[in-house]
Amino acid sequence: MSAQSTTPSSGVGRLEKFSYDDQIVRMFVIATIIWGAVALLLGVTIAFELASWKVNMGLQWITFGRLRPLHTNAAIFAFCGNAIFAGVYYSHQRLLKARLFSDALSRIHFWGWQLIIVSAALTLPFGFTTGKEYAELEWPIDIAITVIWVVFAVNFFGTIFRRRERHIYVAIWFYIATIITVAVLHIVNSLEIPVSLFKSYSLYAGVQDALVQWWYGHNAVAFFLTTPFLGLMYYFVPKAANRPVYSYRLSVIHFWSLVFIYIWAGPHHLLYTTLPEWAQTLGMAFSIALWAPSWGGMINGLMTLRGVWDKVRSEPVLKFMAMSLTFYGMSTFEGPLLSIKSVNAIAHFTDWIPGHVHSGTIGWNYMFISGMLFFLVPKLWNTKLFSKALATAQFWTATIGLVLYIISMWVAGITQSLMWRAIDANGKLVYPNFIETVVKIVPMYWVRAFGGTLVLVSFVLMMYNLFKTMKQGSIGSVEVYEAYSLNESSIEKNATPHRSLEGLPMIFAVLAFLAILVGSAIEIVPSLLSTNYITKLDVVKPYTPLELLGRDIYVREGCYLCHSQTIRPMVHEVLRYGKHSEAAEFVYDHPFQWGSKRTGPDLARVGGKYPNMWHYRHMINPRDVTPQSIMPIYKWLVEQKIDYASLPSKLSAMKALAVPYTDEQIKNGIELAQVQAKEITTDLMNQGVPAAVEDKELVALISYLQRLGKDYGSFKTNN
Amino acid sequence: MYTEILSRFDKPWLPILALFIFGICFTAYTYWTFKKSNKPVYDSVSMMPLEDGVKHE
Repeated sequence: MSAQSTTPSSGVGRLEKFSYDDQIVRMFVIATIIWGAVALLLGVTIAFELASWKVNMGLQWITFGRLRPLHTNAAIFAFCGNAIFAGVYYSHQRLLKARLFSDALSRIHFWGWQLIIVSAALTLPFGFTTGKEYAELEWPIDIAITVIWVVFAVNFFGTIFRRRERHIYVAIWFYIATIITVAVLHIVNSLEIPVSLFKSYSLYAGVQDALVQWWYGHNAVAFFLTTPFLGLMYYFVPKAANRPVYSYRLSVIHFWSLVFIYIWAGPHHLLYTTLPEWAQTLGMAFSIALWAPSWGGMINGLMTLRGVWDKVRSEPVLKFMAMSLTFYGMSTFEGPLLSIKSVNAIAHFTDWIPGHVHSGTIGWNYMFISGMLFFLVPKLWNTKLFSKALATAQFWTATIGLVLYIISMWVAGITQSLMWRAIDANGKLVYPNFIETVVKIVPMYWVRAFGGTLVLVSFVLMMYNLFKTMKQGSIGSVEVYEAYSLNESSIEKNATPHRSLEGLPMIFAVLAFLAILVGSAIEIVPSLLSTNYITKLDVVKPYTPLELLGRDIYVREGCYLCHSQTIRPMVHEVLRYGKHSEAAEFVYDHPFQWGSKRTGPDLARVGGKYPNMWHYRHMINPRDVTPQSIMPIYKWLVEQKIDYASLPSKLSAMKALAVPYTDEQIKNGIELAQVQAKEITTDLMNQGVPAAVEDKELVALISYLQRLGKDYGSFKTNN
Repeated sequence: MYTEILSRFDKPWLPILALFIFGICFTAYTYWTFKKSNKPVYDSVSMMPLEDGVKHE
């Protein structure tokens, strides 16, 4: 129903009748529930795959490397994304006393977003990936995300312009920051050169790609999993507690400080790498500074519950929101702690990091979404919650599951890190064989899988509770509201500058944009423009055509999700992996493949460490060469043929990215690749491998693995 | 360590400028927000989530 003005009145604007579009909120609520179940099911599946390689069943579409990106995309963009849109569309209309700008745009937004999610589900298991964590979707889907995000933004800002409240409530400020920053992050990080419909290469290479990627990756957490939820918190916690936020003035300070500081923190993901020291230090310093605004927000949320703590025991909405704020406080304490270089040296690349991430996504996001859904579903379906007892059972199941998850990952992470670092009196590694450190923590992987299963069970309980609630309720008739339109009389006289700003959405949006631009520009622009910290090394050459094809297979299989490719300047790493990495080694890496986790060993200098035959046997059955390995088998690599036909376009794309391939190399790329494949196959044939392997993907992958680190100093030449 | 960090960065004034801008902005919005005269306004707007609007009967 569109707005109708009925009562002209001078001074206070006209009295208008209008209704809220709650149908779009119901649609996003249902999508949230469905995709949440999918995301958690995927998470539990890959948790069991890490505990036992047999769970993979030898199927290439469900390996850890292919399902993990689907799990993270489903959890962040499908589950949390739909929940954000549901909560934003519900609260936005009510805070502005206006129906959403366009029903048509709302529907395009909804169906477009679901189509993007389905596209992710149809591409990632088949290995169509950019190879950049949390931004794995290929370029056509990236464009679709941009279009749908613009649709959301138009609908959102259009509603603001039609509002009947002069003041823009603080929750909406957080939504504005989210919309602007996510757009900037997504566009900058997704710049890539398409090679085919489902393949592209990142515009950036090596250390610059790493900086842009983790500027994006960290701020995806900040501006997709934090700021929109803080906005929702500032609306739904007061609503559920039936009392105003503890301190509105603190929320103003919270907003600007968080938005300004958060954007700087990305480099803490790259400590001890070849990123310039100053950028690492800036990232660490601002991460620690984040403690203040994060805890300011958490305290503001929890203090809103003062006086209603008795209801926290009995009301599911408050129970889940109180727990989510508690976990928000814990994970935002742990995050800056992990950013301190000396702590990061221990925690990085270990399971401590997934433990930290899940205390945020399950503890903060899932718990908050549960509370929000328990608030929204009874309201939208005009009924009461089906069962409070079931909600309480869900609460404890999820909490116990999450605690098991976090503790097991702390134990696994610290155990593994200490084993990696152990050096005896003679200066040798105590555990030189990486697999020793893996076997030790496998029991913790089982605990994690069990904890994850409990979280999934809790979600199923919520699904049942919510669907029963919907079933017993009804949508009912559309309610009509009335409010006065805005005119000049609603503008506050003699307001202080910030008070005036709170009623000027576009200027407010521009200032929020500038706040995130300052940190982004200072950290990224000098790194992109400056080459003085990368000493060019003539010995570093581009990959051969076959190695390039092998690298694409490495990216497709998601190897970077378990193996890093960067050696930190630490004694134990140099002893284990060889000379520490240098920025100049990665100048042709589009995209970089440093990874963020070492479930398996680092591969930066694996080239030449083992013979071709070792890699051949390792990929067919890792346990043949490394007993007790938890890596899945990759037998399809000896069945699927090398995609030679794609080489000319891939080499041309790389040349466009300033990789110095000659026209001759591009023209003869296929022949050059076939010659190299022949050499590797001859070596394998001498050890009994059939000649038929010559045109198979495994040969290309071996060529790539054997190249790693060789230009600058392979493992063998350093040990 | 600081010498090394700064020697490798050819624009050390940039983050210092950013910190300066943040400091000024932080002081300004904290002053404006906590100004005594604004208290009634913020107390009033903090009630916004509790009002869904007046239903038309």
